[in-house]
Amino acid sequence: MKLSANEKLDLREVLRDLEHYRPKRKGWSWRRKLTNHRLGPFVYRNASEDLKKSIPLPAAQAFGDIDPQADCVITTEIASGRFEDDLRRMRMAAWHGADHIMVIRTTGQSHIDGLIEGTPEGVGGVPITRKQLRATRKTLDAIENEVGRPINLHSYVSGLAGAEIAVLFAEEGVNGAHQDPQYNVLYRDINMHRSFVDAAEAKKILADAGILQLDGAHNANATAKQAWKVTPELFVQHAINTAYSRAVGMAREQIALSTVPPTAPPAPKLRLDLPYAVALRELFNGYVFRAQQNTRYAETDTTEATITHVLDTLISRLTSADIQSTITPDEGRNIPWHYNNVAGVNTARQTLMGLDGIMEMIELKKDGPLREQVRELKERAVLFLEEILASGGYYNAVAAGQFVDSGYFPERRGDGIDRSPAGGDRAGTVIKRAPDYGAPVCSHFGDNVYRDSEHKVCGAYGGCTLCDPAKIQYIDELDPEDNVETRLAKPLADRAAGILHPEVEKHGDNFVCVTIFVPTSPDFAEYAALQIAEKMNLKNAQVISRRVLHPAEGSVFEVRGMLDVAIEIDEIPLAARPEPLTDTEIEAWARPRDIHVVAATVGEDEHSVGIREILDIKHGGIEKYGFHCHFIGTSVALERLLDEALAVGAHVILISTIVTHADVHKQHMRRLAELARRRGVRARFLLIAGGTQITDDIARQCGMDAGFGRGTKGRDVASFILRKLRTQEKS
Amino acid sequence: MSALERPDDFATRRQHLSAMSDAELQQHFWSLADKLVAPLIEEARTHTTPSIERSVLLRMGFSSIEAKALVERMDERSLLSHGAGRLVLELAKAKTLSVRAAGMALLAGQYWQELPR
Repeated sequence: MKLSANEKLDLREVLRDLEHYRPKRKGWSWRRKLTNHRLGPFVYRNASEDLKKSIPLPAAQAFGDIDPQADCVITTEIASGRFEDDLRRMRMAAWHGADHIMVIRTTGQSHIDGLIEGTPEGVGGVPITRKQLRATRKTLDAIENEVGRPINLHSYVSGLAGAEIAVLFAEEGVNGAHQDPQYNVLYRDINMHRSFVDAAEAKKILADAGILQLDGAHNANATAKQAWKVTPELFVQHAINTAYSRAVGMAREQIALSTVPPTAPPAPKLRLDLPYAVALRELFNGYVFRAQQNTRYAETDTTEATITHVLDTLISRLTSADIQSTITPDEGRNIPWHYNNVAGVNTARQTLMGLDGIMEMIELKKDGPLREQVRELKERAVLFLEEILASGGYYNAVAAGQFVDSGYFPERRGDGIDRSPAGGDRAGTVIKRAPDYGAPVCSHFGDNVYRDSEHKVCGAYGGCTLCDPAKIQYIDELDPEDNVETRLAKPLADRAAGILHPEVEKHGDNFVCVTIFVPTSPDFAEYAALQIAEKMNLKNAQVISRRVLHPAEGSVFEVRGMLDVAIEIDEIPLAARPEPLTDTEIEAWARPRDIHVVAATVGEDEHSVGIREILDIKHGGIEKYGFHCHFIGTSVALERLLDEALAVGAHVILISTIVTHADVHKQHMRRLAELARRRGVRARFLLIAGGTQITDDIARQCGMDAGFGRGTKGRDVASFILRKLRTQEKS
Repeated sequence: MSALERPDDFATRRQHLSAMSDAELQQHFWSLADKLVAPLIEEARTHTTPSIERSVLLRMGFSSIEAKALVERMDERSLLSHGAGRLVLELAKAKTLSVRAAGMALLAGQYWQELPR
């Protein structure tokens, strides 16, 4: 399957012939690091190879649209409930630099004692099935070709079917997985014997398949009453899963610790979180660090969440991160929307590139409070381990309620999660292996009569599915109603008819979000905001974020609602502006004609970067074609500009107007046209305006000959000038 | 919820650690962690579960539906301690069937009396 940048993902093609699809590669992929990477005007220290296709950060337009990529893998977590909608979101995220796609499982999959098949719709995630994984891997295989970088697919090996899911992941080319039996025990109340016995088999399968394993310690962080007090326990949880994985035979470089800076402002975040981050990286030196962003204190304000996430990412740079995970800024208010996955990825990308090379210039102090707290944290963790052993081991410690207690160990408050070793889901399902126990397959853990054979244990019957994928039994669908084919009928019909709906999560959901400031006290204001939304025809309007700016002066709300509209693509006019001419054609015409261009930023406006890019030869501006450019300066009066244009005999006047307060940009354009007319020189000049808020339509309405907005290049302006003057010349 | 409650006695409890260097503390941390998981890993080495047995049958080329049904029937007859995969493979050898044909025969109700007790 091949993707084209201008064409939407073809879901029919994704689903075609899945029965025979095999993943292109297996195992985890890291980025190729570059320590002195020259890109545009800069040299990057902590970069990796560029992408073939991407959408740079917005400010990149000032630096030649460069899109430097950080040295660490960037994660986004995606789950709308319908995997077919998630595939489109994965593509958008990949174009913004995500190369680790974590698919959240549907609520309750942990308690299903077996695999799910087909493509039923999920809640808060998707049912992880062979068909869903295969379709997703097939799509990601195509997306990684499109963007030019491997993309890691990731999901969860927990619950009652851990061993089977691990086989499924190994067979289907899943690259990363959460696997931590403590998660089952503490948060899913699955019997602890069952969880640990299953986990050993699952870990062995992951280890042999080269799948990167993440642990589950971050969940304690999200659950704890005061997240910064659970830190000694986090070391213990990491250690249990790590030591258990090593004992099964997993290599260090496959064992990733999932770690979250525990706090958020207004807590003194770095003072609390940095010692923890340092202690963790020292105690677990040699393992992989997956730095997650904080969710524990996420409220509904997306700006607040983003700032916390920037600080989390700063901690990653001050210490280390092999994987920088991202949390969408809207996680505190709804299941993440498409564009918030992209926003989360960009928060990490922007922060990491902004901090590039910072550790060449600063270092963490080797004495004082940082070192004292690092030592204290390690000692508290050691004391925790000692107590677990003294109390008779892990199972007894869980039964005693030692885990996720709100006290700062050794303090205990008696509010931990306690589970009985004899209780929990599927208690009593662990079976002692008989002396003749055998499992004639690869990647099996533990006592096994076939293990000592000289040949591959699966050789007796021609190979297991891990050696011979042709043996995999593919099941397409089990439910005739609840499946992707049924769900796709409407989206595909819409696409065929060229119909567009607004969307935040799933095709045709019709959700939009509006920001409304209401100038009164909060109680009245919220009601008023909903009324306003209703008058805008938003159905089921709901306030998803509120912020009091002043108890009497007003509040601002973000309101989500359904806008029941459909737009037909055929009714959208095609862009009127023709393609720019070639450099050679422009230069051949312009250079011999000595055309003078006078330019300035007008009004009380000191911006000059944009107009410089259009003019200057060093930025690829129109000078290079032989136009004589006269930049008068910034905050130039229109009268003076016109005087200068007349003085040099200019053919073209270019104005830049960035400030738009009270529509001042429109006034400047109208006044320039009017002034030229009054002086009787309007016909002598091409009047061209540019600026971030300028469009060709606006400029023409204000009396200009043309207008150019964001993203304009010198070639676009030169092409317009040439076409216009050439026509005048001919007539 | 547990009844374990006590104040933060870190200052007294840490006395035996105070003389350790950072490297010694680190070593102590990992030796405790290894001790803690040793009995857990021993249990895993010597035990199995329905999920493990289903995962073995998946690897032998059975679908999730077939694996689930086979493991359930073996569990009803208390046969899982021998390993679902071994039961199927040894049956296949004895009857000169393919592994898949042996499993399908069991699903069809055949040969159960010939499996080990």
